Amino acid sequence: MPSSVIIFKQIEKITAKLIEIGLSAEQNFPSNQSGRIAYSGMQDVSIAMKNIAYEEIYKKLEETKNYNIKMLDGALIQMLYSFEDNKLISHRLAFFPAPTLESFQNEPELYENDEIYADILGRNIVTFPIRFDYDPDNFEEIKHPKTHATLGQYKNCRIPVSEPLTPEIFIIFLLRNFYNPAFRKHTQKFIISSQRFAKTITNQEKSLLHLGIY
Amino acid sequence: MIVVRGGTDKPVSSQKLANYFETRTDIEGYLYLGYPIIGTIEGGYQIDALLLSDRHGAVIFHLIEGAYNEEIEIADIQDENYTKLESKLKQHKDLTKGKNLAVQLNVATFASAWTGRSDINSEHPILVCENDLADFLETKNWDDNQTYQKLVSVIQSITTIRNRNKRGYVKKSDSKGAKLKKLEESIANLDRQQSTAVIETVDGVQRIRGLAGSGKTIVLALKVAYLHSKNPDWRIAVTFNSRSLKNQFKHFITLFTLEHKNEEPDWDRIDIIHAWGSPSIRGIYYEICLKHNIEYFDFKTAELMAKSYGKGFDVACEKAHTEIKEFQQYYDVVLVDEAQDFSPYFLRLCYGILKQPKRLVYAYDELQNISNKQMPSPEELFGLDASGKPFVSLQNTQGKPKQDIVLDVCYRNSKPILATAHALGFGIYREKGLIQMFDQHQLWEDVGYKVKDGKLADGEPVTLTRDEKSSPEFLEKHSPIDDLIIFESFNSDAEQIAYLISEIEKNIKEDELKLDDIMVIHPEPYTAKRAVGVIREELFKKGINSNLAGVTTTPDEFFKDNAVVFTQIYRAKGNEASMVYIINAQECFDAFNVAQKRNMLFTALTRSKAWVRVLGYGQNMQALKQEFENVKYNKFELKFTYPTAEERKKLNIVNRDMTEQERKKLQKKSESANDLLQSLMIGEIHKEDLSEELRAKLKELL
Repeated sequence: MPSSVIIFKQIEKITAKLIEIGLSAEQNFPSNQSGRIAYSGMQDVSIAMKNIAYEEIYKKLEETKNYNIKMLDGALIQMLYSFEDNKLISHRLAFFPAPTLESFQNEPELYENDEIYADILGRNIVTFPIRFDYDPDNFEEIKHPKTHATLGQYKNCRIPVSEPLTPEIFIIFLLRNFYNPAFRKHTQKFIISSQRFAKTITNQEKSLLHLGIY
Repeated sequence: MIVVRGGTDKPVSSQKLANYFETRTDIEGYLYLGYPIIGTIEGGYQIDALLLSDRHGAVIFHLIEGAYNEEIEIADIQDENYTKLESKLKQHKDLTKGKNLAVQLNVATFASAWTGRSDINSEHPILVCENDLADFLETKNWDDNQTYQKLVSVIQSITTIRNRNKRGYVKKSDSKGAKLKKLEESIANLDRQQSTAVIETVDGVQRIRGLAGSGKTIVLALKVAYLHSKNPDWRIAVTFNSRSLKNQFKHFITLFTLEHKNEEPDWDRIDIIHAWGSPSIRGIYYEICLKHNIEYFDFKTAELMAKSYGKGFDVACEKAHTEIKEFQQYYDVVLVDEAQDFSPYFLRLCYGILKQPKRLVYAYDELQNISNKQMPSPEELFGLDASGKPFVSLQNTQGKPKQDIVLDVCYRNSKPILATAHALGFGIYREKGLIQMFDQHQLWEDVGYKVKDGKLADGEPVTLTRDEKSSPEFLEKHSPIDDLIIFESFNSDAEQIAYLISEIEKNIKEDELKLDDIMVIHPEPYTAKRAVGVIREELFKKGINSNLAGVTTTPDEFFKDNAVVFTQIYRAKGNEASMVYIINAQECFDAFNVAQKRNMLFTALTRSKAWVRVLGYGQNMQALKQEFENVKYNKFELKFTYPTAEERKKLNIVNRDMTEQERKKLQKKSESANDLLQSLMIGEIHKEDLSEELRAKLKELL
């Protein structure tokens, strides 16, 4: 089972990688305060923003620098883990793409001239946030799986996920699906180590459509 | 006597007063019309006219336009004028002596239509003619030159641009951080040219130009605040191309309006508005489309219509301009910043939506880049009317507000840095000769150069230099020249990177610079990201954070981050930093498109507010370094023979700015020409194989 130290190191390493390949435009240093893994300057605003439009949420997070990494296209990535006695008690992994493509329109050279970012510009993209939560305290079978994915801001969207995700698994998922040309170019730089969390999905949940690594 | 003409609702008496003082060439000083406005608890208090003179002190003129009217409470008005200005001046410690104002302050009413009612010696004097003015001034003598100088600078500074104390952390007295602290304190106030540009209000088109760093944005923001305070009903728009300017404008306009009116600006009357705009961002063009019910083009669709890359907006504006038969007029003033980034059609659209008398103020950077794309003349910009007369032509006429203002002091770059940028950009000391040159000689003087030797004329040798006036000394005095500019040539990229990282570490740990004082510029836009990735990663591992200036990061001095900025050259435009590192500069020495590369070097060098380090490796870097040594050897003067029109034409063709696509096309064409030549030479093709017509054409062209 990955310890808090391992998770912290993974975040550090993967942030450096994203800088190296030029995908991270801005980043905060990861922090580890006795098992609470976040980023320097972290400020929890998740509850205050429950009923706010996505544009506003994004703006607020960006202004207050509430992210581990701000990608070149403005998408924000948060990786928050909590450990107690070196046991994972919760995580929140979130991807907040920039809600408007306005800025691409104003300064497109980057996207136009560098094929790595070619598919970010598509005009038919609808951006929505993605979250992977590990929240065993509120567990209710099927209704609230221990690990679940939420797409968009849909209130009862909790797609079961087989297990808590390591930073590597999460980031590679994002790269593969949303930064594909860059990912293909640098695949060899992103190797998932064998360190994994234990399964948390129940048999009943398994019988539904869900996300899993097996 | 210098007259500065602000907006006034008392034109006749203002004009008479101005006429009189313009003839008084014996008096040193300034006459301000329609200025200052003093923020009081009741809002903005307007002073009709203010005279500043070293011999007579400060005299407020209360102006009366019409015929005698006994209801005008002259005593009350004069007293109020006096107390308001006195209390404003008293806020400045330099202008007080004990509890009192150290400036001799007087007030008089000037009512040119009140014939026979003059009363010079009363406690509340009334002046009606020029003789009265002369006699009145005779009785007001003052002799305190030191206080006078301070008074002038207080009135001219218009505002106190407070320096947020961002260098409280500085501990060493001679570190780079300490030097910056001093430097930042020195630039806080406006100079005379800038304050004139703010106040002078033209009923028509006004142009403000200057080098980058001459303070245009602040001048425009102050102008908005001034006009808004004077005319609260006017609808004012200020527009620009880079969105990062929006916050700056908002900040400054609020600050200055507060000072003039003692209240927040009325944002229903002032639009800080992007030029293009979209359904989700307000924009001049977007709103014009809505108001006139014509088709709106966004970036993608506009770009598809354009013949060459980056011209989409020009095409969209041109289309809109042709389609609109009759303009709706809804603004009283439009101010355009960064006008060099727009096509004439955008300015014509702005002109179109203005109410009479079409108060359009446009400001631009002379020499944003040194390629030969100079800003067109106002006649070309705004076009001709049906009878062939230009809609707009600018003139500075005696007795009228200035329509054409040049801000020729550059407060960003010190003389050595600016002159180096020009010398390398034009290839003044390049072994293979000049790369490019202005067609208009006048431009050199407009951007602050003086002819030291020779003559600014075709075919003539000339030596140009910047003087203390256009390049203030305090910008360079803080550090020795060998620290202001360093060219460093390495044997390999690895050496260059190692040096860069250790220098940045030193800047932070020893020099007391902040992370956001540092900017690293890569001259090649297409490879910048990959080239800097390794460096940023290395810095990150050392605990030094860095940002990539990207699509979503906007250069904005109010929201600076605690990070070193890495940027490719095109994104560096409009941005500045105290310590600028230019890496891989060898790419700028010589190349297929050397003019473009040298323009990049020019832009990169002129980002620096204090220090610049030009790094690179290999032979070309050594050669570039040598070229710089020549600039230094020539004491940062530009010594060259001005190319003739014909020579310039040749330079322009050889070194024209080309896009990547154009460049590739040209390369391909010249390759196939080479192929043809080869084939002809080895007899693979006979000249008879080519058609008669083709041969004749080739002969003719070559």
